[in-house]
Amino acid sequence: MKHVKFTLNGKPFEREVLEHRTLLHFLREDLGYTGTKEGCGAGECGACTVIMNGEAVNSCLVLAAELDGAKLETIEGEAAADGSLTILQDSFDKHHAVQCGYCTAGMIMSAKDLLRRNAHPDRHAVIEGIEGNFCRCTGYEQIIEAILDAADNGAAAEIAERTKGGDNA
Amino acid sequence: MLHDFSYHRPSSMKEALDFLAQNGPKTAVFSGGTDLFVVIRAGVAKPAHVLDLKGIPELGKISWDKTEGLSVGACVTINTLTEYPAVREHFPVLRSAGEELATFQLRNRATMVGNVVTASPCGDMGSPLMVLGGEVVLASSSGERRMPLSEFITGVKRTLIRPDEVVSRIVVPPTWAGAVGGYHKLKRIKGHDLGVVAVAMVRKENTIRCAISSAAPTPVLLPDLAATSSVEDVQKKAQSMISPIDDVRCTKEYRSFMVDIFIKRLMKELEAAA
Ligand SMILES: Cc1cc2nc3c(=O)[nH]c(=O)nc-3n(C[C@H](O)[C@H](O)[C@H](O)COP(=O)(O)OP(=O)(O)OC[C@H]3O[C@@H](n4cnc5c(N)ncnc54)[C@H](O)[C@@H]3O)c2cc1C
Ligand code: FES
Ligand code: FES
Repeated sequence: MKHVKFTLNGKPFEREVLEHRTLLHFLREDLGYTGTKEGCGAGECGACTVIMNGEAVNSCLVLAAELDGAKLETIEGEAAADGSLTILQDSFDKHHAVQCGYCTAGMIMSAKDLLRRNAHPDRHAVIEGIEGNFCRCTGYEQIIEAILDAADNGAAAEIAERTKGGDNA
Repeated sequence: MLHDFSYHRPSSMKEALDFLAQNGPKTAVFSGGTDLFVVIRAGVAKPAHVLDLKGIPELGKISWDKTEGLSVGACVTINTLTEYPAVREHFPVLRSAGEELATFQLRNRATMVGNVVTASPCGDMGSPLMVLGGEVVLASSSGERRMPLSEFITGVKRTLIRPDEVVSRIVVPPTWAGAVGGYHKLKRIKGHDLGVVAVAMVRKENTIRCAISSAAPTPVLLPDLAATSSVEDVQKKAQSMISPIDDVRCTKEYRSFMVDIFIKRLMKELEAAA
């Protein structure tokens, strides 16, 4: 076992973790944070994307033991406690960018990371931003439109504001 | 699920090398883990220990110096590499290849060192490093050795590394700094597939250098060619040196065909850029 201290969506955590546990399984099975999904378990689909120390990563290829000192952001940190959605989430809703929803948590985390790096991405930058995320339902078009529209509606500023407030990082 | 192994995160090179001197054969070192945890998950590798190099400050360093060249530490990620100003300025072929590797999330973890130690014939960093004359620096508790990448990689997923060693960094000498260069890769889908075949090329003053991935057990480096060579000459040389195979991704004929196409495109592109 390894002792790790980290923050998850702004909240401090301290845990003993199994040394061979992936971050993905730690989140889902040990912490009960099941918003992050497992698709392939091998880096290919992006369903497990979380943001670790400000960078999008595939949590299926990270060990929980690597968490010591880390700042982690997952989908559970997005909507407010009262259920109100972020601009980005709202845009996914409006544009029907969600069908089965299995890819959505990963898509939102990749899109959030993209908007942090680039507040006004063009279509090409959006496509590149979600290159590591599979969606088997939507055909991507609605997702691309949702992200572009969210950017036009101030999603990047909202993300920056929430980050500053310690809300999610 | 991964098998039960123990996790170690040394905070100095000495600590890491002492550990490997004792436990090398039972240990897998890693930085990004984007190759290692895939093979562990598949049951192909079963190390008793994994040694995370990211706690060692010097391995996270990247630097450029006119005399030594570019030095890329073992834990420098591909995204850090392709964003690094000296890489953009002096070694466009590295940037071009790095941007073709896997997906954005994976490039936040994947490293150039991990890529060449894996030594997959379709790895994206092997052929660009070979055209640039890249060298691997190996460290162990008994000292350091340094060798060209072309010697280090000996076969499919085989290198000269010993179990008590780590690759501490890769050095790209300044010889080809400023060369125009590019990397063309054939794949079925961006990010979700390794290269089917790829060509790296640089051009500086009167010389062209070209290397090919996924067309032989190791990347194939052609001898230096005059920049005035015809496309056919370069293609002929390449075809005489590669030994492509049929596999799940494509036939050997298609690989050969695409090598010729990429050589033609790159020669045009580099001539225009020179
Ligand atoms: C979905 C997916 C897509 C991919 N696509 C591509 C692609 O398009 N192109 C491509 O080239 N690769 C691709 N890869 C493979 C992989 O991402 C790269 O090879 C990457 O560069 C490996 O770096 P790493 O730091 O993650 O390696 P790690 O997994 O950390 O290590 C790889 C190997 O090298 C050893 N090692 C690592 N560092 C050292 C060191 N300093 N000293 C000694 N040994 C060391 C490890 O023990 C292990 O055997 C892909 C992987 C996945 C999962
Ligand atoms: S579950 Fe991690 S990339 Fe598919
Ligand atoms: S909505 Fe089903 S996979 Fe994307």
